[in-house]
Amino acid sequence: MTSASNEQQKLIDDIIEVVASEGMIPREKLRGDASIESLGLKSIDIVMILTAIEEKFDVYIPMDGSFQEAKDLQGLVEAIAAHIVKEKSAQ
Amino acid sequence: MTARKVVITGMGAVSAAGIGAAALWRAARDGKTAVGPLDVRQPFGGRIKISAQVRDFDVEAHVGAELAPFCDPFAAFAIVAADEALAQAGLDRNARQGSRCAALLGTGIGGMRTVEDGMYNVYVANKRPDTLTVPRLIASSGPAQLSMRYGATGPCFAVSSACASSAQAIGLGMQMIRAGMVDRAIVGGAEACATNGAMRAWESLRVLTPDFCRPFAKNRNGMILGEGAGMFVLEAEEVARARGAKPLCTLAGYGTNADALDQVRPDAASAAACIAMALADAGLRPEDIDYVNAHGTATVMNDSNEAEALNRVFGAYVEKLLVSSTKPVHGHTLGAAGAIELVVAINALRENIAPPNLYCETQDPACAIKLVGDAAVARKMRAVQSNSFAFGGINASLIVTPAA
Repeated sequence: MTSASNEQQKLIDDIIEVVASEGMIPREKLRGDASIESLGLKSIDIVMILTAIEEKFDVYIPMDGSFQEAKDLQGLVEAIAAHIVKEKSAQ
Repeated sequence: MTARKVVITGMGAVSAAGIGAAALWRAARDGKTAVGPLDVRQPFGGRIKISAQVRDFDVEAHVGAELAPFCDPFAAFAIVAADEALAQAGLDRNARQGSRCAALLGTGIGGMRTVEDGMYNVYVANKRPDTLTVPRLIASSGPAQLSMRYGATGPCFAVSSACASSAQAIGLGMQMIRAGMVDRAIVGGAEACATNGAMRAWESLRVLTPDFCRPFAKNRNGMILGEGAGMFVLEAEEVARARGAKPLCTLAGYGTNADALDQVRPDAASAAACIAMALADAGLRPEDIDYVNAHGTATVMNDSNEAEALNRVFGAYVEKLLVSSTKPVHGHTLGAAGAIELVVAINALRENIAPPNLYCETQDPACAIKLVGDAAVARKMRAVQSNSFAFGGINASLIVTPAA
């Protein structure tokens, strides 16, 4: 594994940690292919998750279509990760 | 009893585009955005650094030294806009309007700046809040100031339903006149929300864009907060005619309802029912509407929901119905939105021009409506509709038609 992909994996793990705590979802239910509905995540839960992400990563993540399009946990986490990477590179 | 017809004889506005309904309409028609750098009490730790706030507005210069200590900016905006509306209606500002005149003001929050200044004194500076904090911050200080200024001793209160506030205040005034409760109503909405705390609270909800407000665009990512006021003089048609007033237009229809589902997630079926209710109230068919000034906040949720609602009501005609959101120009003015956008809608009706929908380079396929585009479009207007949808699932819609 390259250090870049190590960094990416760490980022994804950190995001899943926030989803677990803010979404109040047991860690074992958080599989990549779990649908957003099956996790019981509503739009306001995603707002809470994004807020916690902002605190943790010191970025601002506006709600755009990428969160609506995410069908499963992996999609959601990747959308969040993409925003963090974009914001960080802009700073 | 046949309900009386209600006409609008005067209107006024304060917005980021400047003082006056004309400045607002010019900016909306010409697609000149009034968004600029955010200016709030420092230090400001927020990440959103743009707003459509009302700039260089000196409350005392506008309302006088005697009244200024009682006026939060939201109330001052309302007074300035109402003075303009009464002047256009040909009403003497110094005459007492009496018991047959209502004063209703929509505001989402009320005196936000006063609240924050008071909290700052209490929690940061360890001082007392300013003596007049309470009479300034209450939402009803706005309509109360209007009642005193014009001697309107009829019904007077604030309507607070977030972003539907002023559309509801206007609709209520119309219903009061129709029902014979009053002959005239000074109605509208005002909001002064570009404050440090309010900006950060809205930012927390993830509904503010850091760059551009792009209604109905594929890449839309939120709204821009705006400030201002829109005020109107509504009158029973026969009362206006009897005094020789020349109506700007007829206020033909009003609908309002609640989703009763979710605090922040909108519902297309209820929004559609509200739009249809306004049409029925006006006695119009969907194909009688030529232009809709959409709520169009440019949040992901609102725009697809509103487009879906428009499709449900207008059916195949949605392909011909011109729609735009003018929020990229004047921002989302929350409780003032319905009033500020009705000023735009009335001008669109009177000048037969649909104002542009800015910054939508690629339209979201989930928003299948006919957008005006980057530049205004000339079109003969028989009726114009304006939508307002609020947190809490509260919807309101107004329709204006040419004065007979």
